Amino acid sequence: MIARVRARPRSGAKAHIVNPVAAPAAAGRDLRLDFFRGMSLWFIFLDHISSNVVAWFTLRNYGFSDAAEIFVFISGYTVAYVYGRVMRERGFVVGTARLLKRVWQIYVAFVFLLVFYLAQIAYVSSRFENPLFSEEFGMFHFLQDPAYTLMQALLLRFLPANVDVLPLYIVLMLFFPPALWLLLRKPDLTLSLSFVLYLAAKFFGWNLLLYPYNGPWFFNPFTWQLLFVIGAWCALGGAERLRLILRSNLVVAICVVYLFLAMLLQLSWVVPSAAAYLPGWMMILPLDKTGLSPLRLTHFLALAVIVVRYVASDAPFLRAWWARPIVLCGQHSLEVFCAGVFLSFTAYFVLVEYSNRVFMQVLVSFLGIALMVLLAASMTWYRGIERRPAPVTGSATD
Amino acid sequence: MRVSVLAAILAIAAPASFAAGIDERCAVPTELIETSATLPNAALAIKRGRLDVMVVSGAPAQTAAGGTLHKYPFFLEQALRERLRDVEVRVFSRAEPRRTVMEIMTALPRLIDEMKPNLVVWQSGTIEALRGIDPDGYGRKLDAGVSLVQNHGADVLLVNPQFSPRTDFMIDSTSYTEHMRWVAQTRDVPFFNRFEVMRHWSESGAFDLAAVGDNGTFEQVHRCIGQLLGEVIVHAAALNRNAER
Repeated sequence: MIARVRARPRSGAKAHIVNPVAAPAAAGRDLRLDFFRGMSLWFIFLDHISSNVVAWFTLRNYGFSDAAEIFVFISGYTVAYVYGRVMRERGFVVGTARLLKRVWQIYVAFVFLLVFYLAQIAYVSSRFENPLFSEEFGMFHFLQDPAYTLMQALLLRFLPANVDVLPLYIVLMLFFPPALWLLLRKPDLTLSLSFVLYLAAKFFGWNLLLYPYNGPWFFNPFTWQLLFVIGAWCALGGAERLRLILRSNLVVAICVVYLFLAMLLQLSWVVPSAAAYLPGWMMILPLDKTGLSPLRLTHFLALAVIVVRYVASDAPFLRAWWARPIVLCGQHSLEVFCAGVFLSFTAYFVLVEYSNRVFMQVLVSFLGIALMVLLAASMTWYRGIERRPAPVTGSATD
Repeated sequence: MRVSVLAAILAIAAPASFAAGIDERCAVPTELIETSATLPNAALAIKRGRLDVMVVSGAPAQTAAGGTLHKYPFFLEQALRERLRDVEVRVFSRAEPRRTVMEIMTALPRLIDEMKPNLVVWQSGTIEALRGIDPDGYGRKLDAGVSLVQNHGADVLLVNPQFSPRTDFMIDSTSYTEHMRWVAQTRDVPFFNRFEVMRHWSESGAFDLAAVGDNGTFEQVHRCIGQLLGEVIVHAAALNRNAER
C-alpha cells in the first residue's frame, strides 16, 4: 500500500508526466488500495455475522490486527490523496467544503443504518420475551424513551452495534481539514502531533462516551486517528521518503518474523486447546482494540510493509477476473460498507429465524458477498450511464 | 426451529462422549468443557467430606416468572451430590443483580468470610457487555477479583455470558469472554464457556433458544448447565476417578 504508490505530490497532475514511475495504471489509481479495502469490507461483513464459520478465514484469526486497521489506514490514505489535491489546487475553503460534504454523506448513511437497527430491536423486543434471557432483554428499557434515544443516536451518543467504523469515520473526517492543511505543509510535524495525541489519549484515558451507560466508543477516535493520519501522511509523500527503509531486507525480515510470531500466538489463542501450552510471558492477548493497542498498530504496519514490498501496484493479479469483484467493492467503500452492515443483520436474522447450521452459515456468507459485489457493480454501471467523467473525488474516494 | 426435529436427530447421532449423570440432551463435545486447570481447595474439601460452593453472578435473582424457577446453582448442587455420594455438598447462590465485576468485588471479601466457600463459581460479563464497559478494564478487574478470592483461600471457576441468539446482534460479549479466558489461563483457574455450550445446543437443535421460551425450557437449560458445571468441577478437582462410584 505504501511505498510504491508514489506520493503524488505537490505538483499535482504534472507528476504523472514528469515522473515515469508515477502513473502505472491508465486510470492513475492504485488498484492495491481498492483491492485491499474491498477485501477488508468482505472480512468486516463476515466477522459481523455472529457465529459464522466462514469468519475463520478472515484476518483477525491470523494476527493481531484485523480488517478495521486496513480500512482506516486506506481511508486515511485515499482521503488525503484526493482531498489533499483539492486543497492544494483550490484552497483550504474548497477542500474543507468537499470534505464536509463527504461527512454529510456518511452521516446520512449512518442514520439509514440506525433506522434499520432500531426496527430490528423493536421487532425482537416486542416478540421474543424469554425467561431464559430476561437479563439480556433488560437492555431494551431504553426503548421506553424512544424520542430521547433517537436524539442521542443522532448526536452519535447511541451507536448501533457493528456500525462503529462509520461514526469513527465521521469524527475523523470532521476534524480532518485542519490536519490536512498542516499535513500539506508540515507532514512530519502533523504525524508527530497525531502520535502525541495517541499517547495522551492512552495515558489520560480519553474517549467519547455513549448513552445510556457512558460506555466508551468501540473505536476510540483519539487513538484510531493515528492510523488515519499515518495513512494520510504516506499518501502525501511520506511513503516515498520511507522508500529506502521499506526496501531494506532487514526491515522486511523483521516484519516477516513479527508477523509469523503474531500468527502463531493468535492461532494458539483462538484454538483454546493450544492456548494451554503457551508460556505465561507470552500471554499478551487479547489486545486492546478500542485503544488501538501498539501491538495491533505495529502488526498492521508490518503487514503493510510486506504488501508494499511484494505486491506491485501493477501486479497482474489486481486485474485478474477473480480480483475484479474485490476491487469493485473497494471502489465503492461507503456504499458497500453500509450494505455489509445491513446484510450482516439480515444474514444473522436468517440464521436465527430459520437455521444456523454450518451449511446455512456458508450460504448466507456467500450470498451476502454476492450482493455486495452486485451493488458495487451497479454503482459503477450507474456512474457510466450518468456519463460523468471519472470524478476527482468520486464516490470511490473514501 | 423449523428444522429442530431433524437437528435433534442429528445431534443425538453426533459423537459426544460423556460421563454418567448427564442427560443425553445436554451433551456437548468433550473439548467444549475440557480444562487443564485444577481446583486444589475443592479437591481438599471433597477429600474431607464437605464441599461448599458459592455461585456469584450479576444476573437478576428473580426470573421473569417470579423467582419460582430453579436456576443452574440448584441443578449444580443436585449434580454434585449425585456425583460425590460421600460428600456433603452445599451450593448457595449470591446474585448481585446488575452489578459489574467492580461492584461485586467490593462485596466479595465479606461474602467469602461469611460463607467460607471452598469454590466460587463466578459468572460475569453480561452486564458489562450490555453497558459496553471497556473490555480491557473489565479484564483487569476480573483478574484482581480472582486473585482476591484465591487469597481468601477459595478456588475460582469462571463462567461467561450465555448465548442469547435474539440479542446476540446487539450485545457482543466476545471481547469480555476473551478477557475471561485470559484471566482463567494466567491464574490457572477453570473456565466454563457457557456461551459456546449453549451455541452448540442451538446449532445442533438440542434447544431452540431463538423461540419464545417457556419455563420448561428455562429449567431444562439450567439443568444441563448445572450438570455440565458439575462435570467440570469434579474433573478439575481431579477426583473423578476415586470419588465417583
